[in-house]
Amino acid sequence: MSSKKRYQPGDPRLIVLWARRYAQSRTISFLVQWVFIVIMVLVIGLAAGLTQIAHEQHRMGLFTLSIGAMVLSALIMLWFSMSRWSSDLIFSITNWLYGREGYASWTGSSGKEGSLPLWTTGLSGGLLAYHLLGALLISFNYMPIGLLQPWSALYMTPYLIIMVLYQQLGFWAWIWPILYGIHGVLLYFGVPLRFGREYELLNIVVPIFGYGLIAILTGHIYSRYALLKLKTLTRNAIPDREETQDEEAEEVQAGDQGHG
Amino acid sequence: MDDLDRTIHEPARLRILTILSGVDAADFNFLLNTASLTKGNLSSHMDRLEKAGYVSVEKSFKGRMPHTKFSITEEGASALKKYWEGLDAIRAMQDQGDNSA
Repeated sequence: MSSKKRYQPGDPRLIVLWARRYAQSRTISFLVQWVFIVIMVLVIGLAAGLTQIAHEQHRMGLFTLSIGAMVLSALIMLWFSMSRWSSDLIFSITNWLYGREGYASWTGSSGKEGSLPLWTTGLSGGLLAYHLLGALLISFNYMPIGLLQPWSALYMTPYLIIMVLYQQLGFWAWIWPILYGIHGVLLYFGVPLRFGREYELLNIVVPIFGYGLIAILTGHIYSRYALLKLKTLTRNAIPDREETQDEEAEEVQAGDQGHG
Repeated sequence: MDDLDRTIHEPARLRILTILSGVDAADFNFLLNTASLTKGNLSSHMDRLEKAGYVSVEKSFKGRMPHTKFSITEEGASALKKYWEGLDAIRAMQDQGDNSA
C-alpha cells in the first residue's frame, strides 16, 4: 500500500499503515544502541577528564593508565557491537519485553533483518574513534573540556540521523539527534545550559542520556497506541462473517479442537 | 463477487494478509494478538495461505529458542492488491446503482 494514498477512516487498508507504524516503533534495538552510546560517552568522557588532570599534574602513570583504559574500552565496545552477542541480546530483551504481544519487524528499504551491514559498523567505529580523538584533544589541552558535547554532536547528530533513516524508525527516533544537535549549538554559542566546572562530564552525559530516553519513551508510548489502533481497526474493519459456517469454517473449527 | 479470490475473501485470512503486508515479518503470537483469532484457527488459516503460496514461513533458532516468522510473498501481495481493486470496483458499481436509483 502506498503510504501517500488516502483512505477513509475505518478502511481495512489502514491496517497496513498501523501494522507498519507499530513495527517501526518497537524501541528495543534503539534502546540497545542508546545504552551502548551512553556507556561509550561516559567511559570516554571520564577517561578524558582523568587524562587531562594527569597531564596537567605531570602524573605519567595515571596518564598512561587512563589512555590505556580509554582505548581498551573503545576496543571492547567495538568488539561487542560486531559480535553475535549484541543481536542475541536484542532478541532476548525483545522477547522478555514483547514476548506476549509477539514479534513484528519492518526494516524498510534495507530489507534485511538482524545484523547491520558493514558500512554501518564502519560508521559506529568512526563514532568511537571520533570521540576517542576528542578525548585525546582534551587530554593534551588542545580543546577545552566544555566543547566535548558540541564536538560530539558534530558527528553524533548526522550519525543518528543516518541510522534513523536507514532503519526507517518512526518520528519519535528523530527526537534524539535533533535535540542533541540543538543542545550542541546552544552550548557552543554560550547559552547558559552548562553544569558547573566540577560536573563538566554531565554536560555531555545528561543530553545524550536524557534526549535518548525521551525518544525511547515516546516511541514506546506510540507503539502502545499503534498496537491498540491496529487491533481495533482489524476487528472493526474486517468483521467476522456469519456466513463463514461453510466447509472451510468447519475445517478451521476441527483445527481448533485439535489444538485445544 | 465471483471474481474475488476466495482464499483472501475469508475475513480471518484477509486480516492476516493485510497485517503481513504492513510488515517484513511477524510471528505467530503477533498475528494471534492482532487478528483476534484462536491458536487453532490461526494455524489452519496459515496452512491454507501457505499452500496458496501467499505467505512464506521461516523457522529458525534464536539461542535455544525456536522462532517461526511469517511473511507475505510477492504472489500474496499481488493477490491482495487485486482483491482490493476488485472490491473497490464492486463498491463503485454499487454506488453508481444507488445514485441512478
